[in-house]
Amino acid sequence: MNVPHAHLLALAAVLFGLGCLGFLLRRNAIIVLASIELMLNAANLAFLTGSRMHSSAAQPSLEGPIFALFVILIAAAEAAVGLALVIALYRLKRTAELDSSSELRG
Amino acid sequence: MSNYLQSLPSIAPEIAMTVLLCAVLVVDLLLKGRDSRKVGYLTLGGLGVVAWLLLGQWGELGSAGAAKRVFGMIDIDRFSTFFKLFTVGSLAAVVLFVLLDRRERRHGIGEYYLLLLGAGLGIFFMVSTSNLLLLMLGLELLSLASYSLAGFHKGDKRSAEAAMKYVVFGGLSAGVMLYGISLLYGITGTIDLTEMASGPHSLAAQFSSGPVPVAVAIVLVLAGFAYKVSVVPFHFWTPDVYEGAPTPVTSFLAVASKAAGFAALLRFVGKLFLVDGADGAVQQYGARIGALLAILSALTMTLGNLAALRQSSMKRMLAYSSIAHAGYVLMGMATMESSGWNAAMFYLAAYYLMNLGAFGFVLYFESVTGSDDIASLKGLGAKALWVTVPMVVFLVSLTGLPPTVGFTGKYMLFVAGVDNGLLWLSLVMALNSVVSLFYYFRIVKALFLAEPAERSMPGQSALAGSIFVLAVLTVLFGLYIAPLQAWCDASVESLRLGAG
Repeated sequence: MNVPHAHLLALAAVLFGLGCLGFLLRRNAIIVLASIELMLNAANLAFLTGSRMHSSAAQPSLEGPIFALFVILIAAAEAAVGLALVIALYRLKRTAELDSSSELRG
Repeated sequence: MSNYLQSLPSIAPEIAMTVLLCAVLVVDLLLKGRDSRKVGYLTLGGLGVVAWLLLGQWGELGSAGAAKRVFGMIDIDRFSTFFKLFTVGSLAAVVLFVLLDRRERRHGIGEYYLLLLGAGLGIFFMVSTSNLLLLMLGLELLSLASYSLAGFHKGDKRSAEAAMKYVVFGGLSAGVMLYGISLLYGITGTIDLTEMASGPHSLAAQFSSGPVPVAVAIVLVLAGFAYKVSVVPFHFWTPDVYEGAPTPVTSFLAVASKAAGFAALLRFVGKLFLVDGADGAVQQYGARIGALLAILSALTMTLGNLAALRQSSMKRMLAYSSIAHAGYVLMGMATMESSGWNAAMFYLAAYYLMNLGAFGFVLYFESVTGSDDIASLKGLGAKALWVTVPMVVFLVSLTGLPPTVGFTGKYMLFVAGVDNGLLWLSLVMALNSVVSLFYYFRIVKALFLAEPAERSMPGQSALAGSIFVLAVLTVLFGLYIAPLQAWCDASVESLRLGAG
């Protein structure tokens, strides 16, 4: 099966757009972090598509897949720190809604 | 393999930093958190060694053609060494702040130093690479450590909220930037900036055939940088995070982290558009990027200064002022000429000195009055002249009045702007400096023009001493500009001619 590159890139753009929408519209910290993961996965898909576009049988373009592996690592590290901070905030406020945080204004 | 071993001495500062980081972790575990001050002294000593290695490297790089690329992705040149030296300097100042802050002692545990060093290591890699993978990893190392540092006071609602906001917006910017990089990779087939500028599928060839995807990709990556250096419209996290984070951490974020973002941004734009002998399409595109930066610069400095006018918290005011200063630096960049970039580098160096000092002052008075309200400073000016007079020096420098380094920096930016057809932006900057006078001098007014307060001032001689040294440097570099200017020239030159 050979999916055209344009379709893969379009899917990546849709994933990225959904991530952006989720970030802008939802106020629960965990959903917001999940939306960010969606955006990172859109980047991953685009990296792999790029690699396919620039690879030939003789000369594979490996930078894309390697970058995608590191993006997975970045996503995991960011989720770990992000969720730890959500828990810290939840202990103090008993909620994970971002809008309820209003100590800092001005 | 032998090639690999030969390259190792080039990254000696990074290796020393990593060893120091591990040593801090182990020593803190062995001490079981009982006497974390020892860990702080160890950190300071280690940073001294790193600085010594960096100075040696700076000397070696003096000869022509000494700049090189090792491991295929780390650029060893004066540009990166310049920022590494300033990073080590500001890390040392922040470690001193942590050690000397009487309020931090309650929380003062070894992880503070570990996270600071981790962030510093991230900066080291971030400023010295034109490979987007390593750039991104350095940026993430810096960001992850900064998120944890911002939330270091776990039981404090403001600190927890600052960290939460930081991690959410930081994650967004990382996602946007990575998507932009993935598009750039799809367009050019490489993640190396030098190859992107000159390779078989170089950006120059794509400008004419498909300008829209190139523009989208570049704007997305620039948005990621704009977040890191808090440029409008990606600045909204800055005041909240700066106000909520512990003050030593705020000084790190405002100074080292922001300057590192600028370093990476300068290299990104420089490698792509400030190339010697670039053809017409690249220059034209570079000019368009310059125009975009000029507009962002005008918006950033105006919004930052206007918002700073109505702040009552010193940390929040300095946060908005740091947004305004990002606008000034961006103005030097927007010229897209070496002279403007020199001015931007000089201003960044000035920014390191005067902002570290200003945050040191905030720290000093926070431990006296328990808050960072400007109103709580009333009448304390004459009580601790060793600290308040240096603060006046920093404020004069931040405003951009002689005889300080801030004046020299602004003067260079102004001249560079006028020389390169950005007269309107130079005038906007001059007007903004006048506006900034009002809010900076509210602090001076509170300190000296109110009725003297009855409060007694506990002595913090070591902290006062380090603030005083920073003030002396601020004036010294304002009067003797030649050495600093020569360093900036050498750095920008190495960026243009760096290992290709």
